[in-house]
Amino acid sequence: MDDRALDHTRRLAQLAMAGRLSRREVLRRGAALGLSAPALITLLAACGGGESAGSTSATGGGGSTPASGSETPASGTSTTETGSSDGPKKGGRAVIALIQEPGQMNEFFNSQSGSFLSVLVVEPLFIADANGEYQPVLAAEVPTIENGGISPDSLTITYKLKEGITWSDGEPFTAEDIVFTFEVYKNPESTPLVPAAYDKIESVRAIDPLTVEVKMKEINPGYLDLWQTVLPKHKFDSTAVTQEHPLARLPLGTGPFVFKEWKTGDQIILERNPNYRDPEKPYLDGITIKVSPEKEATIAAFIAGEYDYVYFIVTGDLPTLTQAEQEGKPVHVELFEGGASVEWLWLNLSDNGDPTKPHPVLGDPAIREAMDYGIDRQAIIDEILGGFGSLTGAFIYAGWAALDMPVTPYDPDKANEILDAAGWQRGSDGIREKDGVRASLRFQTIAGDQTRELYQQLIQQNMKDIGIELKIENVPSNTIFGSYQEGGLLARGNYDIVMSRDGYEVDPADWAAVFTSDSIPSEENPGGFTYCHWRNAEFDAAIKEASSTLDQEVRKQAYARAAEIFARERPALPLYQSASADAWSTRLKGVRVGYFNPRGTLYGAADWYLED
Amino acid sequence: MSHYVIRRALQAIPLLIGISVIVFVLLQMTPGGPLAIAENPGGSGRVTQEQLERLRAKYGLDDPLYMRYLHWAGDLVRGDWGTSFNTGQPVLAMIGERIPATLLLTGLAFLVTLILAFPIGIISAARQYSLFDYIATTAAFLGIAVPSFWLALMFLYVFTFSLGWLPAVGLGDPRQQYEGFAAVVDRARHLIMPVSVLALVSTASLTRYVRAAMLDVLGQDYMRTARGKGLTERAALMRHALKNAAIPVVTILALEIPDLFIGSVIVESIFAISGMGRLFVESADLRDYPVLMGILLIASFLVILFNLIADILYSRLDPRIRYR
Repeated sequence: MDDRALDHTRRLAQLAMAGRLSRREVLRRGAALGLSAPALITLLAACGGGESAGSTSATGGGGSTPASGSETPASGTSTTETGSSDGPKKGGRAVIALIQEPGQMNEFFNSQSGSFLSVLVVEPLFIADANGEYQPVLAAEVPTIENGGISPDSLTITYKLKEGITWSDGEPFTAEDIVFTFEVYKNPESTPLVPAAYDKIESVRAIDPLTVEVKMKEINPGYLDLWQTVLPKHKFDSTAVTQEHPLARLPLGTGPFVFKEWKTGDQIILERNPNYRDPEKPYLDGITIKVSPEKEATIAAFIAGEYDYVYFIVTGDLPTLTQAEQEGKPVHVELFEGGASVEWLWLNLSDNGDPTKPHPVLGDPAIREAMDYGIDRQAIIDEILGGFGSLTGAFIYAGWAALDMPVTPYDPDKANEILDAAGWQRGSDGIREKDGVRASLRFQTIAGDQTRELYQQLIQQNMKDIGIELKIENVPSNTIFGSYQEGGLLARGNYDIVMSRDGYEVDPADWAAVFTSDSIPSEENPGGFTYCHWRNAEFDAAIKEASSTLDQEVRKQAYARAAEIFARERPALPLYQSASADAWSTRLKGVRVGYFNPRGTLYGAADWYLED
Repeated sequence: MSHYVIRRALQAIPLLIGISVIVFVLLQMTPGGPLAIAENPGGSGRVTQEQLERLRAKYGLDDPLYMRYLHWAGDLVRGDWGTSFNTGQPVLAMIGERIPATLLLTGLAFLVTLILAFPIGIISAARQYSLFDYIATTAAFLGIAVPSFWLALMFLYVFTFSLGWLPAVGLGDPRQQYEGFAAVVDRARHLIMPVSVLALVSTASLTRYVRAAMLDVLGQDYMRTARGKGLTERAALMRHALKNAAIPVVTILALEIPDLFIGSVIVESIFAISGMGRLFVESADLRDYPVLMGILLIASFLVILFNLIADILYSRLDPRIRYR
């Protein structure tokens, strides 16, 4: 998800460039003009500004530390940024830059990152706070065993809704809307794109207008992630709803703003919701989401004061932004603790997707262990990321189940010893061999991300030092992530090492399934996502146990066991955890932080106001 | 003449069919597919296999290739250009929404090209090997050699980031709701850089053609006659030389128009202008086949159309050329 947005701009430029050169040359110019493609890319990157290699200002950032808001997010009592003493000013329009425009602004029908902006309009039942604890928004309380919300067998969840909530058209928000939402999910004519947690629902029943009873087919750890988007029953005449439906594109919600107009490729206009439950709010008259696909230009325009918020910034933008803040530019950067995704090296453990044969090189645990010791992770953070980012040792690294496990230290001597002991002998060119197999691997990531290409080269050098050759072959994102039928490299197991950012939000259940053998992609299971093509019965059993109960203690212990196996077997190597941060313009006030999701800043838009 | 036009128009039909088949097959053969986005690996909420299958069935991705083509072509014949995989909107409406910005951009760039290229080319030819000619020639070769995306980024760097004179992106200020004259000024400020980039690149090559055509004509006997009968150099140039020199240039001009559309792909992407060119790049990125097919078909049609227009203009300008 992070990957796509970050790499989008450069991939655009490259595609455009490829189209241009061939066309011009063929049609009119005749003679080739003699500029090589790599030279052009360098030129492009050189004048893009922004995340340059030389920028190493390792500052702590200018933001205040966000208090972990355990208060109800919707109540507006958690941390606020300093405001003026006269109280919030009413009126005005904030401008949000959106780098990657999604097809729909509705998370029920769209899984692209941009559709998260719909939280300005659509409220969920629960939001996770900075500690990963869920707080009710449209729900009256978080269901627990104590309050009767969770049945003793954990298979029935009863959600209680807040009183007096209305849709932005004035109709009441009731349990029937939730029942309808599930009916849409169930209807085979509908095409929802929602988390797998919905698949574990057996039935949904409205007990009274404010109480919903949901029966699960099996234990469903994602029960608080359900109902992030509820569909207004009164607006639909059928439960068959697809992406073409106007409300699948611009949904109706209960939140502070309403969608008014979407000019694709240009902007989305939001107006104040006149029926919002707090008549004082929102303070803003509206919000304009401006589509701005060139990342570098967007950040530059943001620093110049053209935008109030950018959806969304990543670790690579932080050196530029914090420097701008120190220079007195009208931007404010807020650094958060934890959260965020991890940059991984996915190792292919199968021989070209054939599960019966191990990978000729990576199938040897010694190679994987040596690689782990051979990567200078701290250098990536210090020298390339400007100090933004942290090391992580456990594959369960965030949320309530987070484990504190040691980070593999950088120790090339030890890596060499491991390889020597395992019988990988150095050849004349310094690259190791064993039984006629050369320790030479393809190393791929999404093409065009300058920052990443820098540490890709650093890793390449690290590996060369221990006698492993990495050949960098970067390709477009679609080629890597394509589905099994589409011949995606990961799905087909047609790769050696792929570097990509990945991770999870609060509950690790879905994330852990990314490594279990039952989701290895194959002809029979083309939707599988165990891209390491890893089979470990012990690990599978631990994950299964973790998913079989809602008892957090039992689950945490099971995940700890799984993490031990993961750290030993190394199907994937974590590089670093992205620094989690958000940024907004200094004229935007009343910004609330304290959410688990670094982009959760958007949940508090009702309190935003503009200073003159 | 009308026979000729009709025959050429009819010939365009099998040509377009051929193009559409080739493009359709090539698009589907490129690695990756429209579901990579929906599948969203790396997101927290992984969708189930069943949800993906529903989408595949809806898009008809499980059908064999020829069936998919026939479906698409059948719908097209009935006037249905299909529905975007990404937005769920009708393809024709999406393209229609994006065309005005591209027309504005390319139209202005074409005008600027004409206004610049003809005088420069004519003066260069009339004063061959003068200082002006050397400067114009050098500038033209630079213009041909420099890729437009590089030029665009340089413009951004200089006029927006360094000098702060011009807005970086879009066709209007998102913060302000200008009206009347202020709106025109705002729009113009946003258009200066993208139009200049597009126009400079095409001016560079057109100047060379105008110059070459003029030089060719200036050496002709009838030019000596014109001068001999006492016409001023200016009158000889404008009345006799230019008209004859225009014949080859017109062909190039007509072919320049589809080329400007192609150039707008880059310029629209860099300056965040929501035109057809950017729609094409976005759709290519998402493997949004219906939209890609729609745009490519329109682009092919434009190339064929302007080729035909060039041929017709040719015979109008030069009575020696007659089509049967």
